[in-house]
Amino acid sequence: MEVSLDKRYPVAASPAQAWTVLRDVRAVAGCMPGAAITEQLDDTHYKGNVKVKVGPATAAFAGDIEVLSLDEATQRLNLLGKGADRAGSTAAMDLVATVEPGETPGTSVLVGQAKVTVNGKFAQFGGRMMVQVSDMILQQFADNFSATAAAQPVPEAEVAAAQPLPEAETVAAQPVTEPKAA
Amino acid sequence: MNAPTDKGVERLAALQGMGESRLRKEDARFIQGKGHYVDDIQLPGQLHMDIVRSPLAHARIKSIDKSAALAMPGVHAVLTANDLKPLKLHWMPTLAGDVAAVLADEKVHFQMQEVAIVIADDRYIAADAAEAVIVDYEELPVVIDPYEALKPEAPVLREDLAGKTSGAHGAREHHNHIFTWTAGDADATAQAFATAPVTVSQHMFYPRVHPCPLETCGCVASFDPIRGELTTYITSQAPHVVRTVVSMLSGIPESKVRIISPDIGGGFGNKVGVYPGYVCAIVASIVLGKPVKWVEDRIENISTTAFARDYHMDGELAATPDGKITALRVKVVADHGAFDACADPTKFPAGLFHICTGSYDIAAAHCEVKGVYTNKAPGGVAYRCSFRVTEAVYLIERMIDVLAQKLGLDKAVIREKNFIRKEQFPYTSAFGFEYDSGDYHTAMKQVLDKAGYPALRAEQAARRADPNATHLMGIGLCTFTEVVGAGPSKMCDILGVGMFDSCEIRIHPTGSAIARMGTITQGQGHQTTYAQIIATELGIGSEVIQVEEGDTSTAPYGLGTYGSRSTPVAGAAIALAARKIHAKARKIAAHLLEVGEADLDWEIDRFNVKGDASRFKTMKDIAWAAYNNLPAGMEPGLEAVHYYDPPNFTYPFGIYLCVLDIDRATGETQVRRFIALDDCGTRINPMIIEGQIHGGLTEGFAVAMGQQMPFDAQGNLLGNTLMDYFLPTAVETPKWETDHTVTPSPHHPIGAKGVAESPHVGSIPCFANAVIDAFSHTGVTDLTMPFTSYRVWQQLKAHGLALEV
Repeated sequence: MEVSLDKRYPVAASPAQAWTVLRDVRAVAGCMPGAAITEQLDDTHYKGNVKVKVGPATAAFAGDIEVLSLDEATQRLNLLGKGADRAGSTAAMDLVATVEPGETPGTSVLVGQAKVTVNGKFAQFGGRMMVQVSDMILQQFADNFSATAAAQPVPEAEVAAAQPLPEAETVAAQPVTEPKAA
Repeated sequence: MNAPTDKGVERLAALQGMGESRLRKEDARFIQGKGHYVDDIQLPGQLHMDIVRSPLAHARIKSIDKSAALAMPGVHAVLTANDLKPLKLHWMPTLAGDVAAVLADEKVHFQMQEVAIVIADDRYIAADAAEAVIVDYEELPVVIDPYEALKPEAPVLREDLAGKTSGAHGAREHHNHIFTWTAGDADATAQAFATAPVTVSQHMFYPRVHPCPLETCGCVASFDPIRGELTTYITSQAPHVVRTVVSMLSGIPESKVRIISPDIGGGFGNKVGVYPGYVCAIVASIVLGKPVKWVEDRIENISTTAFARDYHMDGELAATPDGKITALRVKVVADHGAFDACADPTKFPAGLFHICTGSYDIAAAHCEVKGVYTNKAPGGVAYRCSFRVTEAVYLIERMIDVLAQKLGLDKAVIREKNFIRKEQFPYTSAFGFEYDSGDYHTAMKQVLDKAGYPALRAEQAARRADPNATHLMGIGLCTFTEVVGAGPSKMCDILGVGMFDSCEIRIHPTGSAIARMGTITQGQGHQTTYAQIIATELGIGSEVIQVEEGDTSTAPYGLGTYGSRSTPVAGAAIALAARKIHAKARKIAAHLLEVGEADLDWEIDRFNVKGDASRFKTMKDIAWAAYNNLPAGMEPGLEAVHYYDPPNFTYPFGIYLCVLDIDRATGETQVRRFIALDDCGTRINPMIIEGQIHGGLTEGFAVAMGQQMPFDAQGNLLGNTLMDYFLPTAVETPKWETDHTVTPSPHHPIGAKGVAESPHVGSIPCFANAVIDAFSHTGVTDLTMPFTSYRVWQQLKAHGLALEV
């Protein structure tokens, strides 16, 4: 079962802040509900796992993540994740994510194209709900991503270039991350 | 024979012989939950097996790590193809002349293929340990569509067959091609088409379905290392064939292999084959010296053990302008999955598909069936039908509707016009089948009268004329002829063993009896009906006749129960074994009454002296004498064995009519009436026939209306649980109206033809024809099953027939 996703999520942080998160695979994984990086093998290879529930199917995928490309100039990340669940499912995701400037200063857009392939029991049981569940998970991911990005220190160059942000606004972004940490 | 006196009538009734609706002897235990199935078998020291299966449909196995599983407490063994290799058991021959992987050898070819087995103290440990076996796969491109599989650039699925340009059924033209099988006269058929004033053609797809018996497959294998004997309890429709296969595979002499089929919770073709799970359990028992049980779960059953159908068919008819068919031409692409594991007679890789001229007198016919490998589970058994007869009947019954629509002829009229006439029997079809007997016109009239056919068509026309009608109305007909009772050993064999069947009857001194057969009941009621045949033949009450089947150590060799062969083949063996006993009994009676054999008349349960009915010996008297007072030189005892090799198949037929209404807003289909007239020749037990017909119609309804095994492009089977796979209950099942005519088979000892599969074979095209008939006024000539509400609603939308709600 193959699902192609093409999504744009608004991020309440500047492109530079967002890119700081996106270029860090551990941080990206941290935004994905149920996911974690367990080991870094080299500059571009990681091991990780992710737990997902789709309808009656629950899977704990353990697998490899490979950063295929990371382009600072275009703020574009391409990674490939492949994993297997011991109960008889496999999953793979080829993800291309870029950061674009938002419509208003200090905001950005996370643009993602992903091809998700699942096989085995996960596809058999959860196939018909894949799109809906993917949407839901990605929305959670985007929310976490946005909060994480907003919590990043604003790069100096950007501070200089941009209008100073009102205190209140920066503070307002903070509480979003706090319940997650709790 | 004297006319039965009043007392004779009572004696006849007491026998509960043929023609009586004797209550099923099996039901006492089944309805109390006292059946004894494979999973009820518990042997001392028994271990449990579970199977590690592939999540991928096509992949190379890079490594298998079983260390974590082996380290788990309670785990006895983890075996892979590499472990079976030294025993040469990692591959096994199939009934179709191919080989199938027992455990995936370097590659997996379909989703949920068996990759490794785990043997543990209990089922739970086995299941946990199966999850601890880590298999590293490298994904390969998946081929699901058989037409794609035959393209030059298609990936090679069966690397083990590399370089093999011929298979069990002739030349292979492509790396994913299995066989091309043809029948009929290509030239004569081409000629008929070239000159025909009218021709029609239609592509149709009969989707992959699964018999889905309530009891899944399983076995308990028990090897006794001291005696060197292997006993295996197994849910098999053909225990003797399994014994032969097991002996050939294992090298254990057939005399030391005992296969026992206990009670079976439905087979429908699913339990004919020898599956990897059986082989693995047997190997594990031999290796460990302990009994090993393996029972599939539902998902494993639907996903991996034999499917049915998956035929892509192109039919063509040539006809005169007034609808007389002159030729039939058929091309089939048959999706056999990863291994050719069909269970057909050896010489017929497409089974008896060439019965596809149906009930019609068609002078010229040709068919070509191409078998193809894909990344799906193997199988291709007959799901409640005789060797691809369902597909054949579907084809011709759909084609005749297509022709009727093209010519604007009534669908009943075109059938009557083309029926083989009563006086043409025995009739030889263009494919060489010799139909034994039939009277189609009489049966057709009976059904049309019962249905009030002209009024139904008038109602349909009125409904179509009304743009606001809430429902479409469809009238489906199916007038089918089956070919069952495989089969004459000159034509039919399985693994070289002729498809005879057998019966052994022993009459005990006190006049009761035991009868053993090579068949095996799975719901057909053999224990009831077989006794009735013996009761009528020998004058012994059914109640004192024990019928035993399924234990290869006690039953005579037989080919088993599938393809409606029990009554046509074993039923004949029973009658002929009984007649051998009858002949000996006559000699004993003559001796006891001190008259010549010719001076005796047989009457119900006794021999009377001609002209003096007060001098007689009952079969009970004769049984006693057989053990103490025999004519000089006669061997004591009263028993007989008969192996029956049928001279021909039998040809049951039926006329089915379905009226249904389709909700134009929701696509829901309601079956208003379903009339099923069956002619199975002599009727042994009308109640059981009725029950079999109800069961077959209900399974037909399931196939037509909801059963399907859908695959996605990656080879995932999306529909292998009972959440998705449709099993109708009393809620969904329509009311069935049954009827019958009786046209005995002239070559069968009691004239019986077999019945249990007819309602399945006949009802599926009948439902399809009814649904398509509902759309026919818009020019629709074909729709693909299953006719679920959603799919029908899509068709309503597509043809501008949907009502907005």
